[in-house]
Amino acid sequence: MLKLFVNMMKEEWRVHSTMFGSLSFALFPVMIFGIAFMGSFLLPLFRTVVPPGYLSIIIHAIFLLLGIMVGGFGLLGMEVMNRRFGQASLLSYSARSLPISEQEIFCTFVVKDTVYYLVLWVVPFVAGFAIASPFISVPLSLSLLLFLTLTLSFLTGLALIFFLSTVYARSKRVFAALFVTLLTGWAALYLVAGINTVALFPPLQLFHAFSYDMLLAACAVVIIPSAIAVALFTSEYTDTTKRFKNAIVPLTKKLSFFPYPPLAAKDLIDLLRSGSFIGQTLFSFLIPLWLLWFLLSVLGRFIPPGDVLLLFAILTGVIASTMYTWLTMFDTFSSYTCLPVGVPALLESKICSFAVLQAIPAAFIVLVTIASGGVAYLVPAFVLCLSVSFYALAVTIWLTGLSPSVLVYDVKVLFLYLILVGIAVLALIALAFVNPYYATGSVLLFLPAWLLVKAGFTKWEIQDQPMF
Amino acid sequence: MDEKQGVIGAAGLVKEFGDVIAVDNISLSVGEGELFGLLGPNGSGKTTMIKLLTGQVRPTAGSAVVLGLDVTKDPVGVRKKVGIIPEQETPPSFLTATEYLDFVGEVRHITGVRKKADWWFDFLDFNDKRDVLCKDLSRGTRQKLMFTQAFIHEPALALIDEPLINFDPIMQRKVKDYLTEYVRRGNTIFISTHILEIAEEICSKFAILHKGKLLHTGTVAELKGRDQHLGEFFLSLVETGAHA
Repeated sequence: MLKLFVNMMKEEWRVHSTMFGSLSFALFPVMIFGIAFMGSFLLPLFRTVVPPGYLSIIIHAIFLLLGIMVGGFGLLGMEVMNRRFGQASLLSYSARSLPISEQEIFCTFVVKDTVYYLVLWVVPFVAGFAIASPFISVPLSLSLLLFLTLTLSFLTGLALIFFLSTVYARSKRVFAALFVTLLTGWAALYLVAGINTVALFPPLQLFHAFSYDMLLAACAVVIIPSAIAVALFTSEYTDTTKRFKNAIVPLTKKLSFFPYPPLAAKDLIDLLRSGSFIGQTLFSFLIPLWLLWFLLSVLGRFIPPGDVLLLFAILTGVIASTMYTWLTMFDTFSSYTCLPVGVPALLESKICSFAVLQAIPAAFIVLVTIASGGVAYLVPAFVLCLSVSFYALAVTIWLTGLSPSVLVYDVKVLFLYLILVGIAVLALIALAFVNPYYATGSVLLFLPAWLLVKAGFTKWEIQDQPMF
Repeated sequence: MDEKQGVIGAAGLVKEFGDVIAVDNISLSVGEGELFGLLGPNGSGKTTMIKLLTGQVRPTAGSAVVLGLDVTKDPVGVRKKVGIIPEQETPPSFLTATEYLDFVGEVRHITGVRKKADWWFDFLDFNDKRDVLCKDLSRGTRQKLMFTQAFIHEPALALIDEPLINFDPIMQRKVKDYLTEYVRRGNTIFISTHILEIAEEICSKFAILHKGKLLHTGTVAELKGRDQHLGEFFLSLVETGAHA
């Protein structure tokens, strides 16, 4: 098992360093360290406006989300890996060729993910905070406690997603029932009983008041779902052959108003048959936004609720822009190399498909605005959300072309993305806070977005496409 | 040999990937009606050469004209006219075999694609896989599908990277006969392979690449005239690395 673990670690490193370049990838934890170190010096400033308890909620929620994302990619990434590396399968899927049980491989995979991403994310973050702590009058013991609780938050996310994924693989009905039960339980506690469910999160309770009982509870929340996931785990490749009726011809006809109807039809089929449409909507859109809304609602005590709504609309726009990766993750350029299709045509088609997907954030922001009683903010929130989404999409296309989910991990690309999107987002937040209707000026973002897309077409047309 | 109209013309093609020179100053020409074999050991630059000739990658230096079109200036135009089978068979994962051929038909604006697809399903004997997702097909069946998409629009030129590598002996025989007959009808085929028996059996003209350099261009007939086998000739060239 140790040997398998070591080889999985090497494999994970090589996968990442092949994709992003060894140096770029090695610099990633350094960047996390830098952000945490410098961000720590802003803590005294934050404390004047936000109670420390809320900051800890945000940090723990981020690491919970990170665990969810890492777990989700680990389990759903097989198709992506196959597309990028051809028939070269990863160790995680090698139960057929190695004399090792599926459970043992899955168990090692979970341990590998845990250690790997702890070293990549949690350790650099806590190290940055720990080194800055003497300068901001924070005891070092708090850094150690933070390391423990952030690790547990991350592991909770990882365990939760492994558990839900294995349940989903076994029975979609049981998964749906479980999901509804969890959602109902949360609604009953939060909406009916008025209990602050965030405060019940064991790692957070542990951070606020350390006790061995709570440590045990926090560990149980990680261990029990993980153990059930390992017990329930079954590899996907056992008889997955399905037959489908021809959908491309009728869909192409229905989508004839698109500039490239067959490409749009293929995008739609990819989304539906890969399970990405439901999975991504849930895990990459609704759950992160639900967490975000929860965290931002805390700010309602310090800033007007309308401003919180507009801030949420902006952040929804940023998250909605990542829907572009839904359209590209199963679709590398190598599929098109034998066809008379150029990169600009593919990008244009993806933008059109993306525009259709924007119905989801558009409907979502309308519902949230109405549900939160902010109907007066409906127009600015709606415009902000979609303007930011299309602008961030344009930045993504210019920087990453058809490979957003890979190239965004390149430190240079990520840095430029954060600068270009960050400046626009900060400017819009300032505008929206001055007057909500000034925020409708965000439609002007479509102009730089258009220029960036045009520049992206030229850039990616003359560059060799990365064949991941 | 008759003077034939040039279908492929490459002049001083160079392709560098960082410090690696994958293709090093290669010039060659392929005439109409030829079955041209690009031969070389693994890593000799054969696949890169096909990618350059079909506009999948841009040359670092040099130029290439395919069916009268400059591949750098009009790569999509070139791909419109030719059929390509890439080294790795990568039909889209979530389309069925039938859907993929319909998709190709829509993208290439092929009329009567369904009827043509039916013929290929019968000919390559994979009728039972019509409605299976490409991701669930075996490598051999994927190769059949890629073969079909390359020839379904009956291109004047087909470029094939390792044409028979995933086929069983029966299918290899069938495909070799098809390629020979296709060329006899006036079309041109450019294959890259490291399986010399295939080249010796079906190619009329060949070129040998080694470490990105062109070592030799000639005809199989010339070799036969000298009572020499392609295998021996290839090994003697590659082992010495010398230009013949």
